[in-house]
Amino acid sequence: MREIDLFTEFSRKAGTEINPNDIKIDDTTLRDGEQTAGVVFANEEKIHIAKMLDKIGVHQIEAGIPAMGGDEKEAIKKIASLGLSCSILGWNRAVKSDIDASVECGVDAVAISISSSDIHIEHKLRKSREWVLESVKTCVDYAKGFNLYVSVNAEDASRSDMEFLLSFARTARDAGADRLRYCDTLGTLDPFETFIRVKNIIDIMGIDVEMHTHNDFGMAIANAIAGIKAGAIYVNTTINGLGERAGNAAFEELVMALKYIEGVDMGFDTTLFRSLSEYVARASDRVLPTWKPIVGGNLFVYEAESKASGVLANPQTYELFNENEVGLERKIILGKYSGVNTIIYKLNALGIKISHKEAEELAEIIRDKTTALKRALFDSEIIETYKSYKGKPGKSKVEKAGKKGGK
Amino acid sequence: MAKKKDKRHINIIDTTLRNGEQTAGVVFSKHEKIRIAKMLDEIGIPEIEIGTPSLGDVERKIVKEILKDSFNSRLFVYCEAEPENIEYAVKCGAKNVIINISTSDIHIKEKYKKNKTWVINKLREAIRTARQNGLNFIISAEDATRTDLGFLLRLISIASKKGAYRFRICDTVSRLDPFRTFLDISTISSAADLPIEVYNHNDFGMATANGMAAIRGGASSLVVSVGGLGEGTGNAAMEEIVMALRYLENIELGIETSRFREIAEYVARASSRAVPVWKAIVGTNVFAHESGIHVDGVIKNPRNYEIFNPSEVGLTRQLVVGKHSGSHTILHKFKEFNIELTDKQANEILALARDMSVDFKRPLFDKELMYIYNEFKKKNKSKKKEPENQE
Repeated sequence: MREIDLFTEFSRKAGTEINPNDIKIDDTTLRDGEQTAGVVFANEEKIHIAKMLDKIGVHQIEAGIPAMGGDEKEAIKKIASLGLSCSILGWNRAVKSDIDASVECGVDAVAISISSSDIHIEHKLRKSREWVLESVKTCVDYAKGFNLYVSVNAEDASRSDMEFLLSFARTARDAGADRLRYCDTLGTLDPFETFIRVKNIIDIMGIDVEMHTHNDFGMAIANAIAGIKAGAIYVNTTINGLGERAGNAAFEELVMALKYIEGVDMGFDTTLFRSLSEYVARASDRVLPTWKPIVGGNLFVYEAESKASGVLANPQTYELFNENEVGLERKIILGKYSGVNTIIYKLNALGIKISHKEAEELAEIIRDKTTALKRALFDSEIIETYKSYKGKPGKSKVEKAGKKGGK
Repeated sequence: MAKKKDKRHINIIDTTLRNGEQTAGVVFSKHEKIRIAKMLDEIGIPEIEIGTPSLGDVERKIVKEILKDSFNSRLFVYCEAEPENIEYAVKCGAKNVIINISTSDIHIKEKYKKNKTWVINKLREAIRTARQNGLNFIISAEDATRTDLGFLLRLISIASKKGAYRFRICDTVSRLDPFRTFLDISTISSAADLPIEVYNHNDFGMATANGMAAIRGGASSLVVSVGGLGEGTGNAAMEEIVMALRYLENIELGIETSRFREIAEYVARASSRAVPVWKAIVGTNVFAHESGIHVDGVIKNPRNYEIFNPSEVGLTRQLVVGKHSGSHTILHKFKEFNIELTDKQANEILALARDMSVDFKRPLFDKELMYIYNEFKKKNKSKKKEPENQE
């Protein structure tokens, strides 16, 4: 593998403009998402998700595995017949009968998946490298005979010998495949390694590349972006990052990272993100964490004084995009870390005007309360706290109370 | 992917008890705080941020109590760059402090409503108080990744001249990707003459990747929290950074990782947030395999689909039977129950299990598999009996 001077390569690339029209999303919530241990979608849910993805503007939907037959096949057939504007892809092993099943479903694209790493070839397939290349050639030929868009998936590409991976890509390309899917099956790459490997494939083989990344070490998004920087034009995402083990590159995170970190706006209707994520969370029987990047319920909720006062002065102090943009709401809550500005603002929003001094005293009371309750206060509790605070202090009242007690 | 062993000394500082607790809606009780500090100490986390003394009496009492105890970890408290804040830290018995100040134009103008000179003066004042009290101090530049580089380098040089222990670069709004992180940290760390620490947020899902890129760029310390607990989307997760350093960069911190699941669960309960089953490194689903292809691969050799052994992080492997299962899973599962099936039987049971799983919209419990098996056996018996009866 040829050496690349990381620093110069990345400095150059960091400044390179990526054309938003070149980048395409191929969402696999319905395939790799559903393949997650414990997740099963009903067919109706699958159809609803496909429609939403199409409405938002994704370019391709990986609808499932036709070879599984039964319900799965029915769902794919239905999705392919909806007349959506995006492409519909079926997933296949490198087996002709799998491709036949895809054809029967009426999809316009197929993914043909086979392992390219020696460890998988020896221990899983129990075959040889030659057998793998032969299978690729035969199946691409076969699929092309049906005039389908063909993606060849190099499973476990990251642990594959680079020379063999290049032969694999060449075989796919020469057989007429439209793209190579680079699968970081175990999520073991970091962005730098990803960049070098993907760049090598693209520079040497000149084939379109799709990134399929996993989040085992928390790097799915970063690796997908590294692939794009290296020249990949497709990304295989899932809503909420749903996928086997730690999941895949999350659709909503990738789209927003491209827009706000890389300056690549694909023109998706992002305001639907929260509702799409909620839907998939329910259908997959998984709660959407409140801290989930982009769509979590807690993202625009502020409690700590330093942040809340910044955001109240100007949201840009702590936000790169507006909450409406992803279908969320901004909220101020009062808790252990709240201070004067936050308390004045919050009470004002509840229709109560207080002075700076009162806010200081309230801060102490609120801190004690939230520590005892081990959570932030509800609005009704805030009002209650204020009322009892107003009811108590002021020396005269205390004295009066004292006198009463004395009698 | 094997890399040469990195000889640099890499540090992590855990902020679960400070920025983790600062998360909107999260409050730890005193005992929880002490327990978390103890756990982090026990597994060998070198440095821990334990709290913010300026917050008030309750917090100060907890901080004081933790500081009185004996720890192997170096314990830090957090202060804004205000002499008064630092005095609170001293009163609690702190020896190590983090002095934080925003450095970006937007924060200086919109949050402080001041200018750069004011920031420098504030910082000098805070450092003076810290030095007078003999404190060891880290200077933390909030929103550093939106800060003019020249100004940032000037602050680093002030911190260095005044004897700061480290300088912290905060990517407060998640402005960076790993490539930008690498370039910026390379530039900063080659110009700075004190160790650089990086603090990441996860707004675009890149906290861990950015942390790792910072190490590549020359940073020697990362700020982490258990499960990534922190404001908004949270910080770089401690367990992800430790394992990524070990397996992707070949840097060994010597931390007892087998307690990761236990600690993740404890912090999850204390913060009233469940650990998502798919949480990288510590989620229960990370070593659960359902799809036929994956299970087949894992049975043949775990290395097909696993980079490290589940016990290394305190988890166990699970084979789940559901819609995507293959006949190998069934064979293997029943072997666990001491029942040997033929391939044909396995295929028939598989079909029944798949149907049931689609029907229930979830995988099957072991008991349910046994129900299927028992009914399957009954049916086969009666099938066999029928011809006998006819005879």
